[in-house]
Amino acid sequence: MCLAIPAEVTRLLPDEMAVVSIDGVSKEISVALIEDLAVGDYVIIHVGYALTRIDPEEARRTLELLRELSAGGQGAVP
Amino acid sequence: MNLAFRNEIAITVLLSGGAIADVKVEPRSRPPLTRLFAGKQAASLLAVLPRLFSLCSAAHQVAYLSAVEAARGEDAALTTVRRRVTAVIAERLTELLRSLFIGRLPLDGARAASVRAMMQAGAVLCGGVDEAGPDSPRREAVLQIKSALRELGIAGEDPAPGSMLAAYLADLDGEALSSPTAEQSFLTAADDLEIVTRLLRDGAHYSDAPELHGRIPETGVWARRRQPVLPPGAGPAERLKARIAEVVRLCAWLEDDEQDRDDGLVAAYRLGSGKGAAAVECARGRLYHAVELDPGDRIARFEFLAPTEWNFHARGPLVRSLKGAVPAPGRRGQDAVRALVDSFDPCVGFNLSFREAGHA
Repeated sequence: MCLAIPAEVTRLLPDEMAVVSIDGVSKEISVALIEDLAVGDYVIIHVGYALTRIDPEEARRTLELLRELSAGGQGAVP
Repeated sequence: MNLAFRNEIAITVLLSGGAIADVKVEPRSRPPLTRLFAGKQAASLLAVLPRLFSLCSAAHQVAYLSAVEAARGEDAALTTVRRRVTAVIAERLTELLRSLFIGRLPLDGARAASVRAMMQAGAVLCGGVDEAGPDSPRREAVLQIKSALRELGIAGEDPAPGSMLAAYLADLDGEALSSPTAEQSFLTAADDLEIVTRLLRDGAHYSDAPELHGRIPETGVWARRRQPVLPPGAGPAERLKARIAEVVRLCAWLEDDEQDRDDGLVAAYRLGSGKGAAAVECARGRLYHAVELDPGDRIARFEFLAPTEWNFHARGPLVRSLKGAVPAPGRRGQDAVRALVDSFDPCVGFNLSFREAGHA
């Protein structure tokens, strides 16, 4: 069960790398699988790779939903 | 904002006398979807699933739609079922291929372009979960997938000689981890009814740590490949080859449009008035959804069980494969353990650490 947490691209780096912000935490990832990415785009990440670009409105709705889920109970596996 | 989800599996390998004495698995968090969606219209969750579950969104949509239809006592039209099967197959193919390369082989210009082409074609084929589309984009998408596979060195059930994938498999150090002969057990469609019944009865208590009368079977590529009899101590190379072979089979399936084949890929179960469930065979194994609807078609309960819960269960297939194994000393042995964990293909990242048993 892979939760798709949107990440915002904050900086583009050489060699198809980029810095993204996930829930306020910066992370360096590969963007080799997405063409023509720009700062401000939102992407879905899996094991260090941006897999898909999503539009900012969809990202906002997803983050809102994740916030609700987070507040609604942790549901952590013991 | 602080999202309280831990989207990574933590695995600790405990060593004693040079052998793996035990393996601790700390799973990722699960979102409390039942609580959030209780009381909402059944249709409201359909739009949310692809946003929450990115890697297997078609499988989640098909599982949910099928479970809701079963709960309502409805049957999907044959053409709808066929579209859903195509979407699940295309997503499975895309995921299996992507996971062969990501984090394993460098994705430089040409290879990245081929994986991108594959993902784009897969998205076209996954687009028909809920509505019909013309045939021509489908044919073009399948041709694009075939072309991408050739460029990535996948033309038959073994990688093309000289390809980077073939070189990677040849370099896997099979001698660096002597594995015990662990008993193998595989999840099949015959287990569905018991699983969905317990899922709806026990909810997260069951989906957090599923079992079948004490048995914790493996699901996914290796389980689907169970004929002929598989070597019990198979390592990462055999598991990755099985993944390549399945990619090739799925591509042939899409090309030939073998729509009548029924291997339990999508199965729906009516569990009583307003209750339904479904199982979908996705890339990493069998995915289950179970729902209970009230008379106003609102969600009274929603439960799901992802395949990684079986494979990365605290007493599951991965742990059984590692316990008692003897890794080579130092980094070489640790790399071999990492390769084996990776070959079980979790749907999230994992963090692997080693320590001596008895040490805090």
